[in-house]
Amino acid sequence: MNAIILSAIWAVIMMLGSFMVKRKGNFRHIAAFGLLVLFVANIADTYGYSLFNFNNHGFLQFTRFGYLFNSIAIFSSLIYVLITGKEISRYGNHTAEYFALIFFVMCGVSMLAFYNNLLTLFLGIEIMTIPLYILTGSDKRNMKSNEAALKYFLMGSFSTGIMLMGIVFSYGGTGTFSLDVSRAGIPNLYNHVASFLEIVGLLLLLVSLAFKVSAAPFHFWTPDVYDGAPSVFTSFMATIVKAAGFIAFIKLCLVRMTATSAAIDWKMIFAIIIIATLLVGNITAVFQQSVKRMLAYSSIAQAGFMLFSLFSVNDFAKEGILLYSAAYSLATIGIFAVLVKMKDYTFEGYNGLAKKQPLLAATNTVFLLSLAGIPLTAGFFAKYYMLAAVVKTGSYLWLVIVAVLFAAVSVYYYFRVIQAMYFKDGNAETEAITPSFKAGLLLVAALIILIGVYPGIILNWLYF
Amino acid sequence: MSTSEILFWFLSVLALFSAVMVLVSKNPVHSVLWLIVVFFSISGHYLLLNAQFLAIVNIIVYAGAIMVLFLFVIMLMNLNRESEPQKNVWMKLFGVISGGLLLTIFVSAFRSSADIFDKTAQLNDGDVGLIKNLGKVLFDQYAFPFEISSVLFLSAMVGAVVIGKKE
Amino acid sequence: MGAGSLIALMIAAIAFSGIAILISKIVLKSTTNKQKGEPYECGLPTKGPSWIQFNVGYYLFALIFLIFDVELIFLYPWAVVVKGIGWIALVEIMIFLFILFMGFLYAHKKGALKWQ
Repeated sequence: MNAIILSAIWAVIMMLGSFMVKRKGNFRHIAAFGLLVLFVANIADTYGYSLFNFNNHGFLQFTRFGYLFNSIAIFSSLIYVLITGKEISRYGNHTAEYFALIFFVMCGVSMLAFYNNLLTLFLGIEIMTIPLYILTGSDKRNMKSNEAALKYFLMGSFSTGIMLMGIVFSYGGTGTFSLDVSRAGIPNLYNHVASFLEIVGLLLLLVSLAFKVSAAPFHFWTPDVYDGAPSVFTSFMATIVKAAGFIAFIKLCLVRMTATSAAIDWKMIFAIIIIATLLVGNITAVFQQSVKRMLAYSSIAQAGFMLFSLFSVNDFAKEGILLYSAAYSLATIGIFAVLVKMKDYTFEGYNGLAKKQPLLAATNTVFLLSLAGIPLTAGFFAKYYMLAAVVKTGSYLWLVIVAVLFAAVSVYYYFRVIQAMYFKDGNAETEAITPSFKAGLLLVAALIILIGVYPGIILNWLYF
Repeated sequence: MSTSEILFWFLSVLALFSAVMVLVSKNPVHSVLWLIVVFFSISGHYLLLNAQFLAIVNIIVYAGAIMVLFLFVIMLMNLNRESEPQKNVWMKLFGVISGGLLLTIFVSAFRSSADIFDKTAQLNDGDVGLIKNLGKVLFDQYAFPFEISSVLFLSAMVGAVVIGKKE
Repeated sequence: MGAGSLIALMIAAIAFSGIAILISKIVLKSTTNKQKGEPYECGLPTKGPSWIQFNVGYYLFALIFLIFDVELIFLYPWAVVVKGIGWIALVEIMIFLFILFMGFLYAHKKGALKWQ
């Protein structure tokens, strides 16, 4: 509860700050402080120190899983603001508002971590995505940014419409918005489990949530939007927001889809989506010339891996998705932090970075290795948990083999960047690099290796 | 047939007809005007279900404010017949196929739910939609989503100012 | 009867004015001339095409209006039940209005309500 209300309050503070604080540079310090407050408040909340206690009538459910995810999301955004916060002030003179919108997104993310009702799911998704449409189009003079914002807005509204339709059908089938349904007394059960209306509703919900996490075949918006949006905000969208989408999705799967699994083969549906997502993401990423666009496709490919947790809804999957969101968020934030400093976003732009900026190249290598899932980095254990979860379910084992094959493909395009940095001669131009930026990158790289060596550092929080 | 039934069929036919007209009108402004007719006939349905509040909200917010926004958007984009993009035949074909599939699923969903089949809604005497009952639920049980919706409005407002304001 | 009579009244009203127009259409011989097509006490005659690109400023106003419109809608059920629920309803609506007042303050201070 702390995180939801405090993030809304901090968003208002940033809004008011936009005309009360004169110095533009101060905003990111206020924002970083706010995220720190959120982080502390959320951890306090985890151990029962809640500032706001009122009966929410079952709209929210506070579980350890939600708290831990929320902590990870807030911590990642804190890192994000610390490393790339400076770049946000580049776009127009609405810096404070951009931070306010980021806090609104955090409010939505916290709602999704705790939701227990389709109504709060809808509100959370909306609070999370509406600021994103704005952030996507924040570079107003750039036509690409405008186009991306319009595309994202139109497609996003349609998917929200589909989600509402799904909620309505589900309500028609069960008579409640709550996630937990007492299935006795529902008329006209299909296979003795659920009303057919509910299943249609869940299918529509699946479509709209798959859109939000950019799973194929609902991924078409992703490359254009991620490529067109200002890189700073792409970094935010591709990490924290996407992870929150998955958390919302897995909660729906854990409750509603597990309960109706006798009526419809969700596993098969997810298997098809996973294969399509891995195929589209990995194969298309290979052919990209721009690193930013490659990262957009790679984020689709990573979503394919995260979808395994929805396929195999068990304890391993729950642990895995937390680990995956931490590993993926940290690595992607790091890569984008380096990317926004580059003058040229193509692979050639990275040529010879190792000679000019050895530290940037070294940390970037760690991030890329983590995304590829090389041992000793966080990405390895994240992928390992996902695949182990599938093995635990005991069905569709061939999915694991396919996933490993595609992970091997992904190594190719991640290593292209490393190859450009280390083994190609060139004159990689960067903007001015400050020592604090370097320190931030080092911190992220250290965290990734720490999680990669000892994943319990995150997962233990789930239990005590 | 009772008055309510005659009204129901009249409003349903009106709603469907004007919804189709929204789609087939060549002039986007005409589409918007037909959409207003759709909203009014839907409001009529709400009244039949004794949901006065919903009917009024539908007219004030949708037929009033949102239609104004629609018109502004159409005028902002300056649509006219010459600038209308050519639509691909394949695109149309796939649109029809996927729309038809969705319709099939919806129809089969309703058909399989035999309990709601062949029954009309509670007309006239249902009291769920009365303002008093709605308010009681909204400010007690649904207080949390109600407050959070204000955060949603606030974020939309900040967004509107950020996007709409000249630099 | 309830809602049915209300709708019957609405239809009767539409029919009444519709029949009046219809009768005048049938009875009168219609003539068209240029003066008849001009606006009478309804503003100025338009110059140039009326289908022009609107200023984005209208849109900003309409959006802010919409948000406050929705806010006001919530006041109706509140006003009906506030006595029954008591002070907690007052606190709830105060929080709601306060949050949106912040938005108003922001829009005002940013000059979004000024025509530019």
